[in-house]
Amino acid sequence: MLRAAGKYRQAFLLGLQGSLVYRWNFAVRGFFSLFHLAAVFILWGAAFAGREQVGGFDLRQTLTYFTTILFLQFLISAFNEDYQISEEIRQGLINQFLLKPINYFLYRLSIFAAARLVSGALILLPLAAAYPFIHDALAFPGEPWRLAAAVPALVLSALVQFTIAYCFGLLTFWFLEIQGLVVLSMAVEAVLGGQIFPLDLLPPALHAVARFLPFYYQMYFPAAILTGRIGPVETAEGLALQAGWVVLLLLLAHALWVRGLRRHTAVGG
Amino acid sequence: MSALPQHLRVWAASARYSLTRAMMFRGDFIIWSLVELFWMGVNLLLVEVIYRHTDSIAGWNRAEMLLLLGTSLLIQRLLMGFFWSGLYDLGRNVRNGHLDFFLAQPGSVMFMVSTRKLDPDGLVNSVVALGLVIYAAGELGLRPGPGQLALYAVLVGCGLVIHYSVLMLSTASVFWLTSAQGVEGGYFSLIEFSRMPREAFRGAAEVIFVWMLPVVVVSNAPARVLLHGFEPVWALGLAGFAALWLGLAVLIFHRGLRRYASASS
Repeated sequence: MLRAAGKYRQAFLLGLQGSLVYRWNFAVRGFFSLFHLAAVFILWGAAFAGREQVGGFDLRQTLTYFTTILFLQFLISAFNEDYQISEEIRQGLINQFLLKPINYFLYRLSIFAAARLVSGALILLPLAAAYPFIHDALAFPGEPWRLAAAVPALVLSALVQFTIAYCFGLLTFWFLEIQGLVVLSMAVEAVLGGQIFPLDLLPPALHAVARFLPFYYQMYFPAAILTGRIGPVETAEGLALQAGWVVLLLLLAHALWVRGLRRHTAVGG
Repeated sequence: MSALPQHLRVWAASARYSLTRAMMFRGDFIIWSLVELFWMGVNLLLVEVIYRHTDSIAGWNRAEMLLLLGTSLLIQRLLMGFFWSGLYDLGRNVRNGHLDFFLAQPGSVMFMVSTRKLDPDGLVNSVVALGLVIYAAGELGLRPGPGQLALYAVLVGCGLVIHYSVLMLSTASVFWLTSAQGVEGGYFSLIEFSRMPREAFRGAAEVIFVWMLPVVVVSNAPARVLLHGFEPVWALGLAGFAALWLGLAVLIFHRGLRRYASASS
């Protein structure tokens, strides 16, 4: 057990080194994300002009939601893991893992965790720089249970994000080029994950449907817990549904891996 | 042989090649057309959701906002169709030394790298964006005359020049940074502002995004032509911005080119 953990610890450390090589890219990306945050503040500030509330929440609650989403994008989002997995399959690099006593999913998950640790830490720099200008616009609820509930929600969200990306990567066993499908799904995930607008602003029927989709648990759910958009009952139900989606996605990933390998041909020495 | 017709012939050959390639990989063409269509839909959905809860954003009603959004998307799709692939490849070509290929071509390097590829999916979706503009104009009961339409087209062209220049400036950073992947994202962050009414910007945001960076005026100026007719300050301002930013992009690209040391053996 410890020896197995040691393998993935090494993969994590390798991932950490690899991500640190691109620290400036992450930092620049983090800096530019402040422009996105500025756009959000301006747009929603104008939408709230003359109104106390939109969709049952005030301006500060809404801006807090978007700031949290920005942080979570760097902390738990899959960036290009699908593309990396796809390239490893396409170029035959995956062959080396088939001969070694290593689980490819766990190997990739270790690298994903390392990369998000670096990007999650680096986004704190621009957010800290912006904090003096935005702290008056932020209003986090002070209930301690939210932090306790957010921890498992964030871990499960990261698993949902990664496993969806992993499944898309594995589609390369069937399709030569998956980038189009990935970017297409990004649009769906951005909307139904609550990255474009809080999902509670959707018409109630659509919001109710969105709650049962995995995208809801990618980003909106942990952000809604942390920013007070959902209560304790909805949080408990959500955690159960989120865990269910993680199990389903892990089963799907396993099935794709097994079936994909049957189609895979390793060529060369 | 003068330079302009020669460059136009090269561009026409590249365009023919890109169209032939797109038709060879029709599945890819359809998928990428859908990708762009979906992302346009995302923007449209945001507007629809906000206007479910409010009647006005900075004094602009839903139809006016759709006109602005359509104009912004039209400029962006034209950029994607004509220049995106070339500029995207520039970042990689500088890093792996493939820029040598462009340096050996008989013509302006900046022109060659920018026009090497045409993306028909972006151009197809520019028609969809234009459809959104026409729909919004219909909702508003606008009946623009030929002069207004011509001025709108000219200002959309100026907007395209500005978008191109900003993207080129972002990508040309690869000459200094080795990888421009994070910086390219800067362009996409900045164009978010082009979908917002100028009246939404106040204080420091007004100084930065309206006066210093041309990201708001780029779509507001053409949209205002359809809404309010010819306004010299907006029209001339946009043309001036276009000349200024294109000049800056040419300058920075050529400065960067001097640093290029190739990477091939």
